[in-house]
Amino acid sequence: MPVAASAIYFLNLRGDVLINRLYRDDVGGNMVDAFRMHIMQTKELGTCPVRQIGGCSFFYMRISNVYIVIVVSSNANVACAFKFVVEAVSMFKSYFGGAFDEDAIRNNFVLIYELLDEIMDFGYPQNLSPEILKLYITQEGVRSPFSSKASDKPIPNATLQVTGAVGWRREGLVYKKNEVFLDIVESVNLLMSSKGSVLRCDVTGKILMKCFLSGMPDLKLGLNDKIGLEKESQMKSRPAKSGKTIELDDVTFHQCVNLTRFNSEKTVSFVPPDGEFELMKYRITEGVNLPFRVLPTIKELGRTRMEVNVKVKSVFGAKMFALGVVVKIPVPKQTAKTSFQVTSGRAKYNAAIDCLVWKIRKFPGQTEPTLSAEVELISTMAEKKSWTKPPIQMEFQVPMFTASGLRVRFLKVWEKSGYNTVEWVRYITKAGSYEIRC
Amino acid sequence: MAMHGMRGLSVFISDIRNCQNKEQERQRIDKELGNVRNRFKNEKGLSPYEKKKYVWKMLYIYMLGYDVDFGHMEAVSLISAPKYPEKQVGYIVTSCLLNENHDFLRLAINTVRNDIIGRNETFQCLALTMVGNIGGREFAESLAPDVQKLLLSSSCRPLVRKKAALCLLRLYRKNPDVVNVDGWADRMAQLLDERDLGVLTSSMSLLVALVSNNHEAYWSCLPKCVKTLERLARNQDIPQEYTYYGIPSPWLQVKTMRALQYFPTIEDPYTRRTLFEVLQRILMGTDVVKNVNKNNASHAVLFEALALVMHLDAEKEMMSQCVALLGKFIAVREPNIRYLGLENMTRMLMVTDAQEIIKRHQAQIITSLKDPDISIRRRALDLLYGMCDVTNAKDIVEELLQYLSSADFTMREELSLKAAILAEKFAPDLSWYVDVILQLIDKAGDFISDDIWFRVVQFVTNNDDLQVSAYILGEYSHLLARRPGCSPKEIFGILHEKLPTVSTTTIPILLSAYAKILMHTQPPDQELQSQIWAIFNKYESCIDAEIQQRAVEYFALCQKGAALMDILAEMPKFPERKSSLIKRAEYSEADTAEQSAIKLRAQQQPSNALVVTDQPPANGATSPVPVGQLSLAMVPSMITTEDHTSTDPASSQQNGSLTKVDPQHPSADLLGDLLGPLAIEGPPGATVQSEHNAVSRLEGGPDAVDGSAIVPVEEQRNTVQPIGNIAERFHALCLKDSGVLYEDPYIQIGIKAEWRAHHGRLVLFLGNKNTAPLVSVQALMLPPAHLKMELSLVPDTIPPRAQVQCPLEVVNLRPSRDVAVLDFSYKFGTNMVNVKLRLPAVLNKFLQPIPVPAEEFFPQWRSLSGPPLKLQEVVRGVRPMPLPEMANLLNSFRLMICPGLDPNPNNLVASTTFYSESTHAMLCLIRIETDPADRTQLRMTLASGDPTLTFELKEFIKEQLISIPTAPPQSPAPAPAPPPAAQATPQIPPNDPAALLAGLLS
Repeated sequence: MPVAASAIYFLNLRGDVLINRLYRDDVGGNMVDAFRMHIMQTKELGTCPVRQIGGCSFFYMRISNVYIVIVVSSNANVACAFKFVVEAVSMFKSYFGGAFDEDAIRNNFVLIYELLDEIMDFGYPQNLSPEILKLYITQEGVRSPFSSKASDKPIPNATLQVTGAVGWRREGLVYKKNEVFLDIVESVNLLMSSKGSVLRCDVTGKILMKCFLSGMPDLKLGLNDKIGLEKESQMKSRPAKSGKTIELDDVTFHQCVNLTRFNSEKTVSFVPPDGEFELMKYRITEGVNLPFRVLPTIKELGRTRMEVNVKVKSVFGAKMFALGVVVKIPVPKQTAKTSFQVTSGRAKYNAAIDCLVWKIRKFPGQTEPTLSAEVELISTMAEKKSWTKPPIQMEFQVPMFTASGLRVRFLKVWEKSGYNTVEWVRYITKAGSYEIRC
Repeated sequence: MAMHGMRGLSVFISDIRNCQNKEQERQRIDKELGNVRNRFKNEKGLSPYEKKKYVWKMLYIYMLGYDVDFGHMEAVSLISAPKYPEKQVGYIVTSCLLNENHDFLRLAINTVRNDIIGRNETFQCLALTMVGNIGGREFAESLAPDVQKLLLSSSCRPLVRKKAALCLLRLYRKNPDVVNVDGWADRMAQLLDERDLGVLTSSMSLLVALVSNNHEAYWSCLPKCVKTLERLARNQDIPQEYTYYGIPSPWLQVKTMRALQYFPTIEDPYTRRTLFEVLQRILMGTDVVKNVNKNNASHAVLFEALALVMHLDAEKEMMSQCVALLGKFIAVREPNIRYLGLENMTRMLMVTDAQEIIKRHQAQIITSLKDPDISIRRRALDLLYGMCDVTNAKDIVEELLQYLSSADFTMREELSLKAAILAEKFAPDLSWYVDVILQLIDKAGDFISDDIWFRVVQFVTNNDDLQVSAYILGEYSHLLARRPGCSPKEIFGILHEKLPTVSTTTIPILLSAYAKILMHTQPPDQELQSQIWAIFNKYESCIDAEIQQRAVEYFALCQKGAALMDILAEMPKFPERKSSLIKRAEYSEADTAEQSAIKLRAQQQPSNALVVTDQPPANGATSPVPVGQLSLAMVPSMITTEDHTSTDPASSQQNGSLTKVDPQHPSADLLGDLLGPLAIEGPPGATVQSEHNAVSRLEGGPDAVDGSAIVPVEEQRNTVQPIGNIAERFHALCLKDSGVLYEDPYIQIGIKAEWRAHHGRLVLFLGNKNTAPLVSVQALMLPPAHLKMELSLVPDTIPPRAQVQCPLEVVNLRPSRDVAVLDFSYKFGTNMVNVKLRLPAVLNKFLQPIPVPAEEFFPQWRSLSGPPLKLQEVVRGVRPMPLPEMANLLNSFRLMICPGLDPNPNNLVASTTFYSESTHAMLCLIRIETDPADRTQLRMTLASGDPTLTFELKEFIKEQLISIPTAPPQSPAPAPAPPPAAQATPQIPPNDPAALLAGLLS
């Protein structure tokens, strides 16, 4: 097990230390000053997440308005360190009730110290699962064993659970209504040339689950992915259904998934942890359905005028609609005046990011709104710096649409008691870095 | 302030100040810039108020470090606004955002000019300030006359005039042509009559710039400067507002003194006296006080005054006063002051001859070595290094040694290097030197560079009598073996004879020598081998572990045969003997800051200070003379064929000639030469004839006195005829530093000299060649007026075959060609012999070649104009010789030929430094124009800072060119490489009767 951290710091955007914990004494207490000096106060911030300064490595990550910095002096496992931070943040979120920011940290100093003590020991990551941690790090007062009122819950045995066969689930859970929520969340990354040809395109997706199931249920998930379907048709010795099959790359599973069974039967079967977790992650590079097409025309008329025309076409079903669509069209830094004409939504010039920002709150499928803008530039001293046209960027969310075409075919739940369950499945596609060159 | 009521601006600024982080700030600024761009775009709707406000915002953003690359037009256009607030922001923003090369500025020239010639004083001030900050060439061309007018106008307020002076300074720097030298000099002088100190300060800045370019034109300003300085120093008529902590305008004082330093000298005695009074007052009046600001101000004045004193080359008394003051400084607790004190002392040491006075503070300086502040320690080390000379070398070096053990690691290398150099340069005797270096190696260990211990090894090997002889024989005997009669066996026999008598420490060395002899014997000699093996066998059971070990090892090795060759191969050559230490010191000295500063100053001002400052520190780290004094080798070059640079050519030549003359005992001779001391110790019956090799001995080392062999070369003769031509010997010695001055059948007088600046140290070696003592020996110096000579006591009797050394100290007082004469007499038997010998303490011995680059040569050459400092003469009847030969000849007189300075290939340009007590170090420049058609005539031009020197040097060179001594035809004498023996031998001409006789007799 590799060392992941010698110390962890939580800084706000100004560089003040909110809270910190030293796990090993091979780094000095002033190392965070070096971070402030050499990273935060330079333009480097945000360019490279790993930096070495004076024999120490700094791994940092920004989560809302907090920088989490890990300092290590030995040769640490970087991936492990970042995974640790990510897991810690999700653990904190589950403790704080969703939000993780400067205020949340300020309001939970004691709890955070307690958790930091628990989740890492001498630089080695420990159990970060909030379900288990919550067994013995509680936010409530301590109940005295001599109190008259007997506890209504059995006192959980943390040790037993951590060392047991199903370490991620405690026994004896009882829900009145047994429900399973399953979300498929995909984000589309795209780089398209101005001519409309796709230069790079992929989808990263994850399947999130939220389980409220009694007892020790065994779940089985079926998707319309290629391997699973082929295996199934083999097993049932009947020809594969004609229809779309999806080829998943780089699939990773939550630790609860029974991998031997996946390897032999190609089915995803698992005993889920209680509550929310990420069941699997995958990537798709072939056969991506792009939700939007963008057709820009930008003309520079002389040194001080520009004409921008952008047409955005939605190519998903007419009954669906996208939410929160934002199109950012970059313009030169010396932009002075702008005037717009849009067929839907609203547009304005944002000087802080040097972009024309066009927002459409609700974007129905199979439509093509346009924007045409006139941009006036101010003349500058500098000898006509050639403007490197950055790509147009897009943000959106399309519910009930998967860019990969992935579908859940079935989700089966078995439990000894044989109760009925309700399954909810949701799909959503978001924009990752969705860029169109112009 | 004009910003009142600009709400948008203050809101913006407070927004920026409230930003939590850089990112927020950047976003806010980008937003604001977008806004400003937007506003500037619809120009029509922009009111002057808004324009002003946005331009202020732009300035604020610019000052925060963001790029503002638009809106310059708006800023420039505000300059022409009629109202003050707008004009002000226009000027301010323009001078901040634009630089002198911006095209937009051209648009403003006219407006600026209108403001300058206008009646409104505030507008004039604004315009002058902007031009003074960013005015470029174009401004200089179009505005200079107006600015000059303004500066001279009597109707203007001082406020405007002082801005005008500074503005003119800027314009002058951009384009020196705008100030017309002829007309302006008088006006400048007028300006210096100004009573208002503000205007005066600004004008003085202008003057400093003007005189730094051309001091000739501004002579008239000099008395005015002195007057100003006097006024300030006496605190006459100084308004309260120009007094800073009770010091009347320190800025003006410093500037005035800086300006004065650009004038080479002050000739007018009254002015000079007044200036010295003022300087005296400054020196007296400055003290160290509690208040830091006051100290800073008064010390700034003081150090400028010191620089001026050094520059003016004041009298000794003033110097000593300065040093005393600095002495007080280095005793102060405050580190800054102490640093300044030490630094200035070092500087003083370089510029002037204040060594004696500074020495008084030696103890204090040594204490500074222990200062907690490393920069002070470094200064102290530099100073100690600089001030070290023969008198205090022992103390200083020992102090450095002591300090070494506690010194900072970063300093140790430099420290040990400097200690080693000092010890080497000023060693009073050899054993002390070796002691010091061994201590040094002991203490500094890792910090000792290889060079240092190489040199010690050289010394030890060169000076340890028998051990050395044995070592050398072992090393090099195979080279001898080629000569008849030098068979290894004989060598072995001679060495082995001594074995029973020597100490146990020497035996191992002898054993090594045997082993080496054996190895080099080709073809192997069985008899010798068995003899040697027998010896090894014998010593295998020796009680001394070292001897035993060697014997066993050598025995074993001998039997191995071929393996022996590698192990016992000749020692590798020592590296070039011109001390690499000194090279390194030069290198480390080169990067001390103050030297470069001095050099810089020196380059700026073509004054006589240059001559000195440009030199390396007076105790010449680079001079070849101290190098020569140390590089002594005993092994005659002819035998070893080693490139020992300092092996005295004379001695080897004599060896060579003797071998020819006396073919019957060549091996004995050679051995005698090598085993000089042995010959004395040896049984008297051994008729070993030894050649005199005293000259190659280390002089001055008392332990080396008896080290020289005696010289009964030929059969005794009754005639007392000098051997060799005395005149030729003298001429040869003029070119080199050691050799035989006189020789006759009874006595040989050798001479060895070393020269350092204007000091010389000669050692006369009086060697009795006979078996009978020489009695009534008398040596009397007849020094010319310009030399101070001190001959140590010459013993009345020189015992048989003994050699006496008589050191002779020479100090050069002033330039002269006269020659000192040694009146020497002795009695041998009944013969009274008396000779008068010219001593080679001639003019060129006090020269030090120095390369002068072109950029320094020409200003110097020009500044020394006309007689008596520069003399020219057409010399006829010159011995015709090709140009390279003449260059060689000049080089041998220590005149450094500077090639490439004169475009004409038939001309020679040379430079050198002359040292004497009256002139100190004086740069001499020589130019010789030859006529390729007629080699017997040439034109010679000489320049130096001293008329006598110029004349004497000219005459000296003329003499040398006309009557060239024929003896060493064109041998570059002081060059280290030993010339071929046959050629450079002080020849015995065939017509010399004594020599003929000697040939017959042998």
